[in-house]
Amino acid sequence: MALLEVKNIYKSFGGVKAIQNFSIEVNAGEIHGIIGPNGAGKTTIFNTISGVYTADEGSVFLNGQDITKMEQYKITHLGMGRTFQNIRLFKGLTVEENVMCAFDPRSSYSILGGLLPTPGRKREEKRGRELCKKYLDIVGMAEYLTEKPENLSYGMQRRIEIARALMCEPKILLLDEPAAGLNPTEVAELTELIQRISKELGFGIMLIEHRLELVMSISHVIHVQNFGETIAVGTPEEVQHNPAVIEAYLGKEE
Amino acid sequence: MSIQVLINGLATGAVYALIATGFALIFNVLKFSNFSHGATMTVAAFVAYFLVSAKGYGIVPTLIIGALAGGLVAFCGEFIGFRRILKNHSSATYFFVSSITLGTLYEGLVTIKVGSNFFNYPQFFEKSTVELGKVVISTTDLMMLIISTVALGILAFVIQKTRIGRALRAVSFDRDTAQLMGIDSTRIIQFTFVVSGVIAGLAGVFLGIKYTLYPSLGSLVVKGFIASVIGGLGSLTGAVIGAVLLGLVETLLLSIMGSGYSTIATFAIMLVFLLLRPRGIAGSNVQEKA
Amino acid sequence: MALLQNILTQAFITVIAVCGVYVLTGLTGMFSLGQAAFMAIGSYASGLLVIKAGIPVPVAILIAVVLAMVVGYLIGYPVVRLRRDYISLVTLGFGEAIAALLNRMTTLTGGASGLTGIPRCIGLEVATISAVAAIALVAFFKTSKYGRQCIALRGDELAAKAMGINVTKIKMIAFILSVALTSYSGCLYSFYMSYVDPSGFGWKKSADWVIMVFFGGVNSLTGSTLGAFILSALPQFLRDLQNYRYVIYAVLVILIINFKPSGLLGEWELTIGNIKKSIRRIGRKNKKEER
Repeated sequence: MALLEVKNIYKSFGGVKAIQNFSIEVNAGEIHGIIGPNGAGKTTIFNTISGVYTADEGSVFLNGQDITKMEQYKITHLGMGRTFQNIRLFKGLTVEENVMCAFDPRSSYSILGGLLPTPGRKREEKRGRELCKKYLDIVGMAEYLTEKPENLSYGMQRRIEIARALMCEPKILLLDEPAAGLNPTEVAELTELIQRISKELGFGIMLIEHRLELVMSISHVIHVQNFGETIAVGTPEEVQHNPAVIEAYLGKEE
Repeated sequence: MSIQVLINGLATGAVYALIATGFALIFNVLKFSNFSHGATMTVAAFVAYFLVSAKGYGIVPTLIIGALAGGLVAFCGEFIGFRRILKNHSSATYFFVSSITLGTLYEGLVTIKVGSNFFNYPQFFEKSTVELGKVVISTTDLMMLIISTVALGILAFVIQKTRIGRALRAVSFDRDTAQLMGIDSTRIIQFTFVVSGVIAGLAGVFLGIKYTLYPSLGSLVVKGFIASVIGGLGSLTGAVIGAVLLGLVETLLLSIMGSGYSTIATFAIMLVFLLLRPRGIAGSNVQEKA
Repeated sequence: MALLQNILTQAFITVIAVCGVYVLTGLTGMFSLGQAAFMAIGSYASGLLVIKAGIPVPVAILIAVVLAMVVGYLIGYPVVRLRRDYISLVTLGFGEAIAALLNRMTTLTGGASGLTGIPRCIGLEVATISAVAAIALVAFFKTSKYGRQCIALRGDELAAKAMGINVTKIKMIAFILSVALTSYSGCLYSFYMSYVDPSGFGWKKSADWVIMVFFGGVNSLTGSTLGAFILSALPQFLRDLQNYRYVIYAVLVILIINFKPSGLLGEWELTIGNIKKSIRRIGRKNKKEER
């Protein structure tokens, strides 16, 4: 069984059919790109998989467990990490604390440790900080531990968000337009980063992206969405030559 | 439920509806709970008392001056307490805190003038009750019911049918976009405050007549809060429905178990209601966007 | 001297309650306008246990705080699940209901004329030690995993959930902790004043505490504590000005909210690290002057 199995999910809001019959299977080490015009329902797919919304129909399995109707935070505990289209780092926390937040739910000291400096608290906090360092190192942000994210550049904030998602120790990582707002150098660095974490950490990645050169270069499989429907699935080459895709992107030839 | 209880409940509900809509108007546009609303009612009621009814004028001038005073207080309040916060694009919590402070300020000012004494409006009507068949209604209750209904009717008309009402709805929906579309949102917000103040003035005078005039009269605004929570925050229709329901339930409970426990029972009902329907009667289900 | 002692004791008791409000409002972003009702529960329960059941004071305090926490759990259960705008209004309703209940249960509570005959057994020392302990506990809480999660969900609940944070659980913990602190401050209040009546526990009191937190700095425990201290002592010092004191108080707060929205101290905290920084700065200055 694949790590993530999404079977025929549907989701609509009022009359708007945001997702119609979407299915996907993601295995460890794979990168799946999802492309499509604005309003194609890409982010809704992420939201439905990660538990922000519940699918109207269909089912979602993570590592063999049915997570279709599970609460969002529990899905995260089972191994889902994500970033957001419009960076959503926590205000009022430093870079380190932002990343720590993704460790805290599984940090194992009790409420007593929350009020007093118990040995258990010290041990767990140390473990958390070490993990923090590790993941911030991977994204190349380890020297900014005590900075406030809002004082850093957009590209850096994207990296911190990825580190925070890694801190969830996911089996499946959902990246929602990680290259939006980045300059070409940053995009190149990001491309390298995604490939590196995919190889080193060996989890499945789903990637929504508008920069076709990025998606096409690193994805193993591409899903093309249009008006909530999947219009093509295949390798980057297959998709690029698919007439339905060309039509959706360039319009119908007269 | 006897007809008597029904009528009394409706009259109480009508006053609550005035409080609740004044409160909901501000929530609708600025998305915060305006805690200066109660003190605005108090100030307006006292101004009307000292300027008009203490000098022997009747109910109509009292109501008019009360309404004008309420509007003026809200106008000044917007300028002192909210204008800068609005300009800074601060979060709703700052509006909220500022409104609580404004309330303290108003109440403090009233206390300076009157101490902690109680005042009574003069008897406005020669006949204190009206008989309709078997039902006896107090004249003031009947008047409150009629005037509140008319005031709410006018408000609904202004919001639904007029240019400024449309602008108000636009600002409530999205302040920045409305501004870009050429609506002067600062002026609309000012207008909203004045309208809410006018309604608060009316409600203040009514409360003063129904109970007595004292500096913390505004605490009765709690009824309006509860009504608009039941109705769905920010919804004007919901506020009215919630208020009428609250008036009825409260009057009924009052006739069954007396004053102290009815407050507690009302709260319990609100809590249970919110558990069953967290967004109130008319509130829309807001889904956060990821 | 006695006056100063009185002002300080009352200010410290308020500081403890405001520590609770800081956990709830400052850290977690929830506004409770029924917080004073928990102070009332602490005051009345501990007072009654001592008067009517003859239970020793420390035990009575413990029972009262636990009782308040149980009530807090029952109220918190719906509250933490509600949309934020509703929380302040629902807690307000709760507070008013408790006040009405205290007024009503005349045989037990003395009704509106208040509960008298509580032994006066707490002074400035206990209030000071308690305030320091409360501040220390909250400071530890703020830097713990709980505090971080509170701050995270304060800013963005959806992202917090996506990072695996159990938002309802964390909110509940913050709520119960704040109830514990506030009700404890209520216990001290009754054993200091030896008399309590329901009029002091309305939503205005809760609103005052929120104002204190914002005045000192909603993102700083040091600021909130300072705000509580200043604003609770101020009206006492202005006693001669009688009715004007609340106007002065309100004007001060409006000025802060408008012109320094982050409060007196902003995000600054009094920590050893920050003190060292300041000492180093002063040290450097002195060296320059020596030269």
